Amino acid sequence: MKEVLVNAERCLGCRSCELACAVAHSDSKNLLSALGEEKKPLKRIFVHQARDKKIPLSCRHCEEAPCVDACITGAMHRTPEGVVTNVGGPAECTGCWMCVMVCPYGVIRSDKERRLAVKCDRACLDEVEEPECVRACPTGALVFAEVDDYSRDRRQRFLVCLARSMDTSSV
Amino acid sequence: MHLVIIGNGAAGITAARTARELLPSARVTVISDEPGPAYARCLIPEVLAGDRDPRSISFVPPGFYREHRISLLSGRLVVSLDAVGRRLTLEDGETISYDRLLVATGASPVLPDWPGADLPGVFTLRTVAQAATAGEAARRCASAVVAGGGLVSLKAAWALKRCGVAEVTVVVKSPHLLVRQLDEQGAALVQRELSRAGIKFLFGLDLAAITGGAGGRRQVELEDGRTLPAGLVLVGKGVRPNVQLVRRAGGRVGQGITVNERLETTLPGVYAAGDCVEVQDLLTGAKTNSALWTLAVEQGRIAGCNMAGRPRRYSPPLTRLYAAQFGSVPFVSVGDVRGDGETAAFQKDRVYRKLCFREDRLVGFIMVGWVERAGIYTALVRRGRPLGRLKQKLLDGTVSAADLMVMK
Ligand SMILES: Cc1cc2nc3c(=O)[nH]c(=O)nc-3n(C[C@H](O)[C@H](O)[C@H](O)COP(=O)(O)OP(=O)(O)OC[C@H]3O[C@@H](n4cnc5c(N)ncnc54)[C@H](O)[C@@H]3O)c2cc1C
Repeated sequence: MKEVLVNAERCLGCRSCELACAVAHSDSKNLLSALGEEKKPLKRIFVHQARDKKIPLSCRHCEEAPCVDACITGAMHRTPEGVVTNVGGPAECTGCWMCVMVCPYGVIRSDKERRLAVKCDRACLDEVEEPECVRACPTGALVFAEVDDYSRDRRQRFLVCLARSMDTSSV
Repeated sequence: MHLVIIGNGAAGITAARTARELLPSARVTVISDEPGPAYARCLIPEVLAGDRDPRSISFVPPGFYREHRISLLSGRLVVSLDAVGRRLTLEDGETISYDRLLVATGASPVLPDWPGADLPGVFTLRTVAQAATAGEAARRCASAVVAGGGLVSLKAAWALKRCGVAEVTVVVKSPHLLVRQLDEQGAALVQRELSRAGIKFLFGLDLAAITGGAGGRRQVELEDGRTLPAGLVLVGKGVRPNVQLVRRAGGRVGQGITVNERLETTLPGVYAAGDCVEVQDLLTGAKTNSALWTLAVEQGRIAGCNMAGRPRRYSPPLTRLYAAQFGSVPFVSVGDVRGDGETAAFQKDRVYRKLCFREDRLVGFIMVGWVERAGIYTALVRRGRPLGRLKQKLLDGTVSAADLMVMK
């Protein structure tokens, strides 16, 4: 499965990914009209500063995703394509925030009014099957690739699953 | 190979699904005394409220059991376990042999021995059937008393109000609501929201008795002698793990069924997972019963792997992981929030946050009114490493997952 890989060395913190993500999740899918929408679209990727690094973070679509385990309704699920999402699944999200509580990346937001957890849903893939955040990245800090395509040391430069290293319940 | 699972809840269904995927050749049987497919137990307050019908809280898609080749024996109670003969006996006398067994029998509500606690009109809230019956009764009631100030009680009180019950009074023994999850300040924000919905509260005392049957006027007597009219009484005084089958078969039981790190009980070939087991809290090391959905799912997966011959270990979990929203007030509470060490609290209008530290580690936190990025704090509690420079970012509320990634 393809993942959004992050090369923090290349991130300048320009937030183009954040903007592209928000627009892709707006009703109009257009920056100017999105600005006028009554309910402002929510981005699902966040550029953070840690020490001297800038790191864009979005859902890693973890293999044994803590948010899926924690979901009390059954809404949060993994699609056959490997996308972890709480929309279009076997049940409805009721906004209980269990997923927000357990996501170690902090990339699931809480829309209190709609009682809906909001996260990367890969609903933004374009005609070449690339997510909008990756497409918008001008420096190549974000790459959408099959993880196995990367040699071990190359992969080292990218951030891999934090959840796995932090998960105390697995082997 | 016949894998048998008692319980069709979070733990049982996760184990069944996991074992099925790993062992395509095995026979998998799930037995439950509740009727129908697995459902989202935590959503039964919405059934009580009348906001959803029982079918709409199903936890598995239609056709799940057939597609996964899981035989579901629903509406069937297991009455005994013969661990030597590897055989179960059902209430109707049928016996079922197994090669490996998972006990995922969950927990049952505690019903205090108040005089009158067995009267009609007195409910607990654990099954969808109870929720539907209580909901029907509530729609004919002008008053209700809820005993207990925990999460289930408050969800029930909220639901009763939605049923249109005019007077809903919650009687709480503790000095404030949600003592397991929140401190006084945090609880006040939740209480304010519940009060705005018309729910009333009495603190510092308990019920003493319930009087009056179905025909007469039902009343609740309080410890101080006062009485409250109660068309319906809903008792939310916690749960007790269902350990009887294992105990009677000779298996060891502590705060729940005793299991090792493979989730095996002391009986050969018998595993246990979910609300029925004893776990050891990651932070305090204390033995306690497992009583959370998340833990039931994790344990179900690990038990399923082990039953299927794929060894996996279960390590001590965080046993306090709570998230909910009442009205417009969301909250999250994780870890040890007693606050007997160093704490830092912040309040601005209706947003409250408290961090609890011990020896430069984050051991617990409370967020009320605003819960964004709570998972990062949970991750820090789980990691249990010294915070160093990160502590300032925590205090400022600016910590992000990026900080955790560069933290060694
Ligand atoms: C109203 C409510 C709200 C909740 N909200 C939350 C929440 O927000 N977050 C959270 O983490 N947790 C919550 N919980 C707790 C959560 O529901 C439980 O932790 C979880 O359901 C445990 O799953 P389980 O599979 O261990 O047990 P259960 O779901 O209890 O399933 C056990 C099953 O075993 C069956 N069974 C038992 N004995 C026998 C027998 N002898 N023969 C045949 N079948 C048997 C039972 O009928 C049942 O179907 C809530 C619970 C309630 C009631």
